[in-house]
Amino acid sequence: MTEFFQSLGMNYEWAWFVATIAGILLIAFPLMLAVAYVILIDRKVWAAINLRKGPNVVGPFGLLQSFADGLKVFLQETIIPSAANKGIFIIAPIITFTVALAAWAVVPFADGVVLADINVGLLYILAISSLSVYGVVMAGWASNSKYPFFSAMRAAAQMISYEVSIGFILVCVVLWAGSWNLTEIVEAQRGHGFGIVNGFYFNLLLFPMWVVFFISSLAETQRVPFDLTEAESELVAGYQTEYSSMAFALYWLGEYANILLMCALNTLLFFGGWLPPVDWAPLYWVPGIIWFLLKTLFFFFMFSWVMATVPRYRYDQLMRLGWKIFLPMSLIFVFVISGYLMATGHFGNPA
Amino acid sequence: MIQAIAFYLFATMVIASGVLTIMSRNPVHSVLWLILAFFNAAGLMVLLGAEFIAMLLVVVYVGAVAVLFLFVVMMLDVDMAELRAGFIKNFPLGIAIALVLLAELVLGIGALGAGPLELGTASGANAPNLANSNIENIGALLYSKYIFVFEAAGLILLVAMIGAIVLTHRDLKTTRGHQNITKQVRRNPKEATQMKQPTVGEGVEL
Amino acid sequence: MIDLGQYLPILLFLGVALAISCVFVFLPMGVSRLTGTHNPTAEKLSEYECGFPAFEEPRSQFDVRFYLVAILFIIFDLEAAFLFPWAVSLDFTGWSGWTTMMIFIGELAIGLIYAWKVGALEWE
Repeated sequence: MTEFFQSLGMNYEWAWFVATIAGILLIAFPLMLAVAYVILIDRKVWAAINLRKGPNVVGPFGLLQSFADGLKVFLQETIIPSAANKGIFIIAPIITFTVALAAWAVVPFADGVVLADINVGLLYILAISSLSVYGVVMAGWASNSKYPFFSAMRAAAQMISYEVSIGFILVCVVLWAGSWNLTEIVEAQRGHGFGIVNGFYFNLLLFPMWVVFFISSLAETQRVPFDLTEAESELVAGYQTEYSSMAFALYWLGEYANILLMCALNTLLFFGGWLPPVDWAPLYWVPGIIWFLLKTLFFFFMFSWVMATVPRYRYDQLMRLGWKIFLPMSLIFVFVISGYLMATGHFGNPA
Repeated sequence: MIQAIAFYLFATMVIASGVLTIMSRNPVHSVLWLILAFFNAAGLMVLLGAEFIAMLLVVVYVGAVAVLFLFVVMMLDVDMAELRAGFIKNFPLGIAIALVLLAELVLGIGALGAGPLELGTASGANAPNLANSNIENIGALLYSKYIFVFEAAGLILLVAMIGAIVLTHRDLKTTRGHQNITKQVRRNPKEATQMKQPTVGEGVEL
Repeated sequence: MIDLGQYLPILLFLGVALAISCVFVFLPMGVSRLTGTHNPTAEKLSEYECGFPAFEEPRSQFDVRFYLVAILFIIFDLEAAFLFPWAVSLDFTGWSGWTTMMIFIGELAIGLIYAWKVGALEWE
């Protein structure tokens, strides 16, 4: 894109700067639009599974529903509770949303279509998503109200519990791909299964890790069945109870942006990112970004599906699953996968 | 140019948030400033070319250590008057530590003659495979040359873990009997129920 | 060798994301003053507790287990941090590097087993 702006008569530095800002906006705004529609898809999927119609009044098929909600929320009054710590109360949603957006900086949408192609892209996503716990904890604490505080504590403990096993799962993938760079991880999946199937999921050792990763990503984003932070029967509505207007909506948007990020990660790490499902020439005629978006949407559908069908976990069961099943399991898989790769000479012939 | 601007941006932020960490009256604010300081320090690490260390700083310090700080600080009701008393009591010790830090600072400034920091261009003369990213270089050194140090770190982590459990774990008296999920799942109607057809007036034998 | 040019977009992205979020938070505050929906009252601004005045200090009760979870998380996060460079340098360190790491994981597995046996992983 830099060349295009250079052709408009700018010198290299300015062209680069304008191109980068344009790239950032090209990620941020479509992402927000995607979030708006993904919320609609979510509601439509639940409705279909519950044999309802779902939102269908605002615009054709309810297509404008999210915008109507957004406008309504936008025109609301921002209530800052008198007992709250005002500064932190306002900063908390800002952090949540900033973090949810910023993680997308390293996501490759297609071959070479990535804003920042850094060596440690996957680590960057891990680092940034470990920040999202602060938006939650700060909101809960700053509200100075009982339920948001409990909810925030639960959320924090839940997120860190599942981050542990996510870290080990990433190591398993990286062992196989040999790089922390997301583009290289995707490329490593080309023809992974019998030289035909693109994706690490087609691998007896990595498939269980994908299952664990998928469930952990449900827990990490606090989706059903792990939405204990929003257990309305006991905690009113979670850590955002005291929030209103756009600050409340930012939590909503940030949550969905994180869900999309997790769907994209599932795609990138296990299902071959922008590569077509099968390594077959005609399928490459479809642009990579279409494959990427289709796969991401498919995972989002799975998230909705789970939400519409699975009942909520209890908190002790949630912790048990994270610490007593996923953690030992992912540790054992680190051992098994690295041992297998060493024994089969995957790493060449090291000293 | 941009590197220099970024350096001064991060450096000022680190120092400013460091100062605010110790100046804030509310301990929760202190922790939040500390997090900002960590975050900007990670930015400085990137400028030095240590991208892996930068990410690690965020993952470990911001993502894990600061969460614990925040938990601790949010729960404690910090009494400012008591803190003041402690401040006066520990004043001599504080002065001593400040002197040590001052000495370190003087030594650090003395190192100025060694030349300026080279941003983004680590020479990497000791790195085993120069062509690769520094995460691979760190791995190649840590798991070949520094194996024993690394194992010692593992032992320290083990001790820390056991220590933490011993200190914080309380056996709860009020536990409701622990759920054995496998046992629950394996129960089936044949074992759990019995069909009885008692005649009228005789009752059921259990 | 790292390419700092790849990190500048991230910094810019953080800036843009922060700006967008700030606009989202502060713009409605301004708009609500213009449209007249901004009408704070003492009742509205009090904290929420099912219609009652708050019974007790909200920030007091807190289970010590949350600390334990946080500490265990730090330790396992550090372990994962050691695994990150290990995973991409195995072609360089070979079997000795692999064995070292397995001993390390074994040490922490002992810790995990201890935590399990003591009941530190139980929630009631």
